[in-house]
Amino acid sequence: MVKASDNSTAKLDTELRRGVVVLAVLSQLRTAQYGYSLRQALAERGMPIEEGTLYPLMRRLEGQGLLLSDWRIEDGPPRRYYKLSAKGTRLYAELTDSWHALVATMDKLVD
Amino acid sequence: MDAQVVIDSYINNIAARLPRKLRNDVGLELRTLLIEQLTAAADDVGRPPDDKLAIEVVRSFGRPEEVAARYSPRGFQVIEPEHAPAFVKLSVACVAIQWALTLPAVFASRTTIGEWWLGWGLGAFAWVGLLVVWFGLATWIRQRSPVDPQSLSRPWTHFIFWLPLAADWRPFDYDAFERRVELGALPLGVVLTIFFIAPTWFLELLTPAGTDTSWALYDEHFRQSLLPALIVLMVVRLALCAAAGIKVQLRARLEGIRFALWVCFVGLLYWTVFGWVIFGNPVVDALFKAWLLIFLLVNTIQIVVSFRRARTRVRVPKILA
Repeated sequence: MVKASDNSTAKLDTELRRGVVVLAVLSQLRTAQYGYSLRQALAERGMPIEEGTLYPLMRRLEGQGLLLSDWRIEDGPPRRYYKLSAKGTRLYAELTDSWHALVATMDKLVD
Repeated sequence: MDAQVVIDSYINNIAARLPRKLRNDVGLELRTLLIEQLTAAADDVGRPPDDKLAIEVVRSFGRPEEVAARYSPRGFQVIEPEHAPAFVKLSVACVAIQWALTLPAVFASRTTIGEWWLGWGLGAFAWVGLLVVWFGLATWIRQRSPVDPQSLSRPWTHFIFWLPLAADWRPFDYDAFERRVELGALPLGVVLTIFFIAPTWFLELLTPAGTDTSWALYDEHFRQSLLPALIVLMVVRLALCAAAGIKVQLRARLEGIRFALWVCFVGLLYWTVFGWVIFGNPVVDALFKAWLLIFLLVNTIQIVVSFRRARTRVRVPKILA
């Protein structure tokens, strides 16, 4: 992770991360998660996303048919769980391929 | 106030700003998430959840209107960002032109500033409303029925709403257009110059012998003082326009001097209209000045456009030319 030494670096770093937020979220929703647990899972793996960004994003992805959701009571209060839909699974596979290609290209450029 | 009340008030603040069909669903989900977050925050600091902690949690989540905006469907963009500068310029120009044309009545004491403001002054802002509708329609048409860039057909909406370019689009060559217009207008310029030099002689040529043309006699003071300078400027400008029109290579070289002469000529004509009596006959003088004002208005607009084009043009260094 790039350490933001000044304001402009921090902004560029945020911009860089913004491009991969959707892929990061999709990657964690191959198994059903609710908002808070997803945020925790992403943060634990080094991808903290502000809740104010993450929760509306999940709704938007659901609106686009990429996620499915339902209310469940599992070990606690009722929570809304999200999971990849069939369309979301296909998109996740495509984005993963693009990501690998991009990483390979970028590695060649920056190394 | 306990923690639950803080969270519920916050959620209600957000819900009030959400579309009706999302209100309850999003509100309920957010409530669960915030309670979850509050519990985690309380665990972190090692004390039971309280109102202070709840306020910290909701504050870090964001202002209710911002959160609601993130959940709400994106609104319709009336003016697209790439068209915003054109919209602002057009709006300012429309208001400025209306004010410039109508304010002189106040200075001439034909109306009061209050009456002017309530009429033409405020009325100028109707242009802004009209432009909003125009730009909004253009955005709507572009989004509703995008034009195939490979298509040669152009709907009528293309011309007034600058829709995406058709396949046969070519950039507009303003220089070539200007050159053609100048060459086409040269004969008219020659005729006008001759008229300016000797109006009565010119009219005698066009009318049967013996017709009285004395009404076209210049005011003597004007004829002796300002007219020679005007005629010299007209002749030189005509000669330069002819040279630049016929020999394309000369255009760039003569651009600066032609522009300067043009500005001088137009400035002198403004002074003539507002500060001099041109013809001895007052009716002819008033009519001629009205015609000159239209001519000057057109020329002023052309000067502004030309000045802007000259300033925005990419200048290629000689070494690259």
